[in-house]
Amino acid sequence: MTTRTAIPLVLLALLGTAFFTLFAGYVPDAELNRTAAYYANQTVAETGAQNVVTAIIVTYRGLDTLGEVTVLFLTAAIVGLVLAHSKAPKGRSGSGFLPSGELLTTGTRMLVPVILLFGAYVFVNGHLTPGGGFQGGAIVASGLLLMLLADPAERFSHGLISRIESSAGLTYVILGLLGMILAGGFLDNRILPLGTFGSILSAGAIPLIYILIGLKVGAEFSSILTSLEETEDAE
Amino acid sequence: MILIQIAMLLGFALILLGLYGALTNRDIIRMIVSFTIADTGVNVVLVSVGYLTGREAPILDTIPVADAAARITDPVPQALVLTAIVIGLGVTALMLAYAYRLFRARGSLDISDYTELKW
Amino acid sequence: MVSPLLILAAGLGAAFLLGLLRQTSERAAFYVTIAALGFMGFIALSWTVGLALGDALPVMITTAGTAPPFAINLFMGGMEAALISVVTLTGLLSAFYMRKDLLRLGRRVMAVLLVLIMALSGLIMTRDLFNLFVFIELIVIASAGLILLSRDTRALGAGFKYLVVSQVISILLLVGVIFTYHANGSLNIDDIPARPMVFTGASLAIFLVLIALVLELKPFPANGWALDIYESAHPGFSAIFSAASGTAAAFAAFKLFDVAGPAWLPLATGIGIVTFVGANLLALAQSHDRRLLGYSSVGQIGLVLMVIGQADILGATLPYVAGGILISHAVAKSGLFWLSGLVKGRELSDWAALRDNPVLIVAFATFIAMLTGLPPFPAFYAKWALVHALMANGAFALTAAFLIAALIEAAVLFRWFGMAIKRESRRAVVVNLTYEAVVLLAMGTSFVLSWIWGAASGQENLITLVPLLFALLFLPLDIFPAKAKNLLAIAGLVVWFALSFHGLDPIRLVFLIIMVLGGALLLLASFHAEGRRMGFYTPAMLMFAGMALLITSETSFQFFAAWEFLTVGSYFLILRGHDSEPHALSYIVFSLGGAFALLAGFALASGGKFTFFVSELSEIAPQVAPYVFVLLAIGFLTKTAVMGLHIWLPGAHAEAETDVSPMVSGILLKAGLFGLFILLLEMGHQTLYGIDLTVVLVWLGALSAFVGAVLAAFQEDAKRLLAYSSISQMGYAVFGLALMNHLGWLLALMFAINHFVYKSMLFLAVGGVKERTHTKLMYKMGGLITLMPYTFVSVLVGIIAMSGVPPLSGFGGRWIFYNAIMSTDLRLPMILVFMSGPVGFLYLFRLIHSIFLGQPKDELRMVKEAPFWIVAPQMLFVAFLIAFAALPGMILRRVDGYIGQIFGDQPLTWSGRIVDSQFGTWNPVAIWGVIAVVFITILLLLIWMNHNAQRVKQFNIVFSAERPFKPQTTHFAWNFFAPYRKAMGFLEAPIATGFWTGVSNALHGTAEFTRKFYTGNGQTYAVQLLLFVVAVYLIVLGSMGGAS
Repeated sequence: MTTRTAIPLVLLALLGTAFFTLFAGYVPDAELNRTAAYYANQTVAETGAQNVVTAIIVTYRGLDTLGEVTVLFLTAAIVGLVLAHSKAPKGRSGSGFLPSGELLTTGTRMLVPVILLFGAYVFVNGHLTPGGGFQGGAIVASGLLLMLLADPAERFSHGLISRIESSAGLTYVILGLLGMILAGGFLDNRILPLGTFGSILSAGAIPLIYILIGLKVGAEFSSILTSLEETEDAE
Repeated sequence: MILIQIAMLLGFALILLGLYGALTNRDIIRMIVSFTIADTGVNVVLVSVGYLTGREAPILDTIPVADAAARITDPVPQALVLTAIVIGLGVTALMLAYAYRLFRARGSLDISDYTELKW
Repeated sequence: MVSPLLILAAGLGAAFLLGLLRQTSERAAFYVTIAALGFMGFIALSWTVGLALGDALPVMITTAGTAPPFAINLFMGGMEAALISVVTLTGLLSAFYMRKDLLRLGRRVMAVLLVLIMALSGLIMTRDLFNLFVFIELIVIASAGLILLSRDTRALGAGFKYLVVSQVISILLLVGVIFTYHANGSLNIDDIPARPMVFTGASLAIFLVLIALVLELKPFPANGWALDIYESAHPGFSAIFSAASGTAAAFAAFKLFDVAGPAWLPLATGIGIVTFVGANLLALAQSHDRRLLGYSSVGQIGLVLMVIGQADILGATLPYVAGGILISHAVAKSGLFWLSGLVKGRELSDWAALRDNPVLIVAFATFIAMLTGLPPFPAFYAKWALVHALMANGAFALTAAFLIAALIEAAVLFRWFGMAIKRESRRAVVVNLTYEAVVLLAMGTSFVLSWIWGAASGQENLITLVPLLFALLFLPLDIFPAKAKNLLAIAGLVVWFALSFHGLDPIRLVFLIIMVLGGALLLLASFHAEGRRMGFYTPAMLMFAGMALLITSETSFQFFAAWEFLTVGSYFLILRGHDSEPHALSYIVFSLGGAFALLAGFALASGGKFTFFVSELSEIAPQVAPYVFVLLAIGFLTKTAVMGLHIWLPGAHAEAETDVSPMVSGILLKAGLFGLFILLLEMGHQTLYGIDLTVVLVWLGALSAFVGAVLAAFQEDAKRLLAYSSISQMGYAVFGLALMNHLGWLLALMFAINHFVYKSMLFLAVGGVKERTHTKLMYKMGGLITLMPYTFVSVLVGIIAMSGVPPLSGFGGRWIFYNAIMSTDLRLPMILVFMSGPVGFLYLFRLIHSIFLGQPKDELRMVKEAPFWIVAPQMLFVAFLIAFAALPGMILRRVDGYIGQIFGDQPLTWSGRIVDSQFGTWNPVAIWGVIAVVFITILLLLIWMNHNAQRVKQFNIVFSAERPFKPQTTHFAWNFFAPYRKAMGFLEAPIATGFWTGVSNALHGTAEFTRKFYTGNGQTYAVQLLLFVVAVYLIVLGSMGGAS
């Protein structure tokens, strides 16, 4: 064993002992702690959301989520920047690939609408069932990935993707600010009526925000994917 | 040993394993993959900390609202882990883009080839 | 007041908005970016002002309409508002600065910049632990994006290393966060209870959080990645990375240390001081400008961390101290990074290009003074308060480490400044008005901040001091001709004297006359300068301002501030000399070292008291008094160049300009003497380990007097000879003072006056000769007596006065001196001092002999008398010397009476013009008479004998056919005192020089060796990071084991 592997091993062993101390000292809670208990008891009354995790993500910890969306926004922008200089010449990218088979092309045509619909379903229902904007957005982007696989020469409008991404983001921020004016604070979802508990039009602005997140995340993933795809070497 | 502890140990093991990979593989792509393993480990630790034995997911469709406090697990780590996953994804994508640019610039993916800045 | 949340919303909203603008107009996108940053900056500033004036109250901002800890909340208080102002304004200025590159890369990179500034503001405001993590990740990603702004391809590698390291940090942070949540049931920072420093459970979790946040501060040595970024990134981004990111990260760490409880503070202290020392030490070996700034950034943030570690002893002053350092760092460092964009080359010496534009040089000097904590900048007040708090709490080792590292930092920065002033620039400065405007704005800000910190100091607000403002006035006036400025400067000094001399005791009055009126007199010689003489008057007046304020200072704070003013002013002045770069550096390093000793001494003396009067030195507790004495004495002795601490003097004084040498020699040295007067006046005899410290001073004085004289005798360079002679003369004065009796003090004062007069005169005379002959080497001169008669007269009078032979005032000095040593029982040093008299003759004789007598050199045959304005002050000095010799009572009598009050005796009796002591009588008028008779007799004799003399032409000698290998060695004045050198040469052994060179080499060697640690490999950096964490973990674990 060389020093190059031995030193990390020793260090990680020591770090491991620290982790093990954490593990050994860990006593699982028997009851919900006060924060969790508050969410369990108050979520429905305060936000009207059926999915407590969604309420936390979109409302209580909405600032985190806004940051999280921004992380993706940043990543998309930077990946675009990083790869902008290595863009393959127009029309050359992907042209070196063999045409994908009939099966894949047809299958894609059939599947993509379904996938997009499923993605939309997931983010629209985020406040009721597991899932939400991020998951839905990822599903939407996977549809796009499929299209790219089927036809590597396909070009998506960067302008459109960027406009969707930006307007969704801007609307998100504006909704947050409306919360300060119309309700209790930034990103308060009670700017819209809470509606009937358990129905699709409930939980105030949560569905709206999740739709925006879904669109934004979908657009960002798509942007990252297309940026990566367009750099493919022509040779 | 109950489920939480297995999950948590696994999470820590993944962290250490990932870090070991990241610190010993000189190949940039391997380093990035190693970091995603470590990130996964962190996420496993995150959710395992919030798990309460015998409880259900914090979705109040079948659980009556009044019983929620007694029947659901801690929802906070689940919310956090979502954020952590997305952030991890962002960083990974960024590292991959960097790797691509580095490769284009120098034709090498060996981290030890990029040491012209030092001292 | 607008809600602070809008800072975040505006940043994000604008970033998203950019995507909606028309694709073709990047210019519009740029204006949106600027508008958003401006708006963010405006909100932050309005909160800062509102909170400072009491118009607004700190506000807790809840989100989601739910109270914390159930929803994320933010806090806006005074510290937050001020730091967000720093962050947003740095961002705004850097955006302007990077305009071209932002437009080149397009709106995406502008969005990234906006998000970065937003996230930094969020990091400062948030009170939620996980939210903190989110903001940190946003910062990491945005920074990785902005690194791409650089055109340097190596930046790619640096960015990747940064990402690798950030991954490791975020893993540690997340694990810490989740276990902290588990322990507290809350993610709110305010819910974290104070924990003991143990490594189990909740404490271990908080340790992971803390260490992750500390790692964000780039602690030494786990910071190679950060240095690589500083070196390769766009300077506009480096400014943000250093000033804004550093500030925000430091505040984040502060928030966590604040709640984690006092048990964790030693962690911050330890890592902070190690970083401060390590980074500054390694910076010694740097020659790349931006990397050097990187090291300095790391060091400064380390210092802030160290200050955070003093939270328990600083209490409510922590924001003032930490903020002073942090804001000084932010403004100066961003200013320097911005400035670096105007310099094409990346070597330190390439900054010489800045000389194309004097305004930029002023900015450079301002930033460096700000970083090194010189008055009147905020870090000066912070340094003062910090050292006082540390000393009052007995943290002596920490203070020492801090001061030594600060000294190294000053050495690094001033070495750089010296290169910029003295080296040749290979490439012209970049002309870019935007860059210059941004730099100048930063410089303007630094003065505004100085005012704010001064106003909040509870001490004097230094920036409002009239002498300082007068000195600064010469900056804009520099476009006028030198002669006009000179007139104004002289008038200023005279007016200041008229305003301030009332009510001073005679000793202070004498010093004030020497320093202020003497300065005005010496400035007459500056009329000789032609043209504008840029950059002379501000430093000169700064030095005089310092001296004027020193004499009238009452509190230790005033005293110390004045001391630093005169030090800095004289440094810039000395640096103007021809070959002065290394000498000016050694001068500033020794002077600042001495100043730090003073600082520590005053801090120890005050015992943490807020305002400490210099006169209270006499009342401090006996157990600390000797240490105070030692520290202060070291500070003052550095200034008087006592043997051992003298090596800066010869070069500094000899290489200075013609009219500067007399100022720094004749006047500036008196500052140290004045300090010793005050010290001995207030503290008197002190004993340490059974040794009477004044006896040590007596010995030091005697040694300096003797060795200085010996060294002077062996010099070939006339100005160096005079410089060494100053060491000797100051030795006499120190000796006299340390005798601690009436006559000793009178002697010291007499020496102060005499030394001012004849040293100024001789330096001017030799300077005048140099103006004409273009050399300082005496063996290249000779026979100038007929060519420069006035100069000859002043040298003759000067050396008569100095050697202490009758009739001139030097004799009076000797007379008092012999009386003084007769009344003490320290025989051995007395003999030494006695011996230095004859040695003094040796070197003084050379001045007359080698320069003015003998054969004139062929090439010097046409030399004219020195310029009028250089001769004129000399003639005034001659007149004064003669008058003072005839009528010493006009000055000495009052002083004598005053000293008599101090010692309660009156050994001298003044009757008319005759002075009597127990050992004899001094009748100056009679002496004049005797001398006149003797002189005239000999003159007549010589004239009578002259008719026998045979006149020969100069070349009426026989040459052999040989031509010597080194022609100068055949000159009769070459190695003039070879026989004496054989006898006493061992005294010339450069022990002190050797010692200090050794120290310097050891430091450089350590730096050169240690920095190899930064291999440049990203993976190694990650390993080092983990190693750092594990090492801290083990050290703390070990120390806990020791404690329990």
